[in-house]
Amino acid sequence: MEAYTAHLRYYPGDPLEEIRQEDLDSIAEGYGVKAALERIENRTFSDGMMREETLDKAIEEMTQDVITVEAGDEAAFRKAILAIYRKYRSPRTPYGFWGSSPDGERVARAIAEETGGGW
Amino acid sequence: MKILGMVGSYRRNGNSDILAKEALMGAEEAGAEVELLRLTDYQIQACQGFGLCLFRAEGCHLEDGVKEIWAKIGEADAVLLSVPCYFLESTASLKQLIDRGWVLAHRGTFRGKYGSVLVPYATRGWIPYAMLQPNIFFGILGFHVIHRATFNVQGLGEAVHDEPGIEKAHRIGAELAQAVRDRDPTYRSEPGLCPICQDWNIRVLQDREAIECPTCGIRGRLTVENGKIHVTFDEKALAEYRFDPEVGYNHFTYHIKPSKDYFLRTKEERKEKVKKYKSYLNIGMGT
Repeated sequence: MEAYTAHLRYYPGDPLEEIRQEDLDSIAEGYGVKAALERIENRTFSDGMMREETLDKAIEEMTQDVITVEAGDEAAFRKAILAIYRKYRSPRTPYGFWGSSPDGERVARAIAEETGGGW
Repeated sequence: MKILGMVGSYRRNGNSDILAKEALMGAEEAGAEVELLRLTDYQIQACQGFGLCLFRAEGCHLEDGVKEIWAKIGEADAVLLSVPCYFLESTASLKQLIDRGWVLAHRGTFRGKYGSVLVPYATRGWIPYAMLQPNIFFGILGFHVIHRATFNVQGLGEAVHDEPGIEKAHRIGAELAQAVRDRDPTYRSEPGLCPICQDWNIRVLQDREAIECPTCGIRGRLTVENGKIHVTFDEKALAEYRFDPEVGYNHFTYHIKPSKDYFLRTKEERKEKVKKYKSYLNIGMGT
């Protein structure tokens, strides 16, 4: 894990648009960072909509898109996070950065506070 | 068909009473059975924020008048809410009731009922948030709102001098009954800026590039043409209405319930950090 690693967790309805790896690749290349997408889907269709019981589930296990951004350089990391928030908005819960490195979470949270995160 | 009038003012025979009663007279003429309740006649304790209501079949653990209020709303097909504007928005009794409505919002218990709003107010221009709490109330409960109306009246009982206002209240009551009878949720007041809550407020997001309806949480675009401000909301934005059933479901499922795991995982760290506050300046209950 790089010093600046952020796991940005987007739950259904959170991102401003669909998150795609090719778009993350453009951002990563533009700022010299790594950016990966992990898609987790555990919902089932029931009573006319997608449903999932999350009460006793681990944060990492429920349906979400996780963008992992890694960088050794804070300046590049900040720019990449800003670009991601601009495109998708920031995670919106306190646990939306769970699993990030301490510096990664610190910076990703701070940017969400400074900018409003698109919310 | 039953219509419940709910008054958000302490003052008996005040303007909120008069307007609510005139509207209920109109509803009764249109064939509705009517009843009136005053929020300040009931003890409405502050929500304690435990979230237990979400996880118990019986809902909220607090024993006070709120259960009876919900029961009366449950028996009715429609609610006619008459709540004055104090300090730019509704009286606190309505907000206190809203705070207690979490489990009903989550379960959609009252979804599909009908409602109308009457707001007496004294000073033009001092009502920017007059519809905020009524919109939240009906929004979280999933009501179809038929009318939202304001009435420029001030002193105790002065609503009786506002003849057009009295006629309007009467018509609003009658049309609420018609809406219930015909299962017609068509909005019948003047449209506002937001196509959902019909209010005129905009929130500029911190990036200064996007705007949204602050009540409904739907993003829009603002333009100025020929000196007039225009705000548009596209279909995708409307689907993000925060009180939409699916959006509400996602909110509870992904933003609320998982907080339990986070709470438990951070428990030891939190217990240690909280120590410095537990013995400092203790006041109130449980000291």
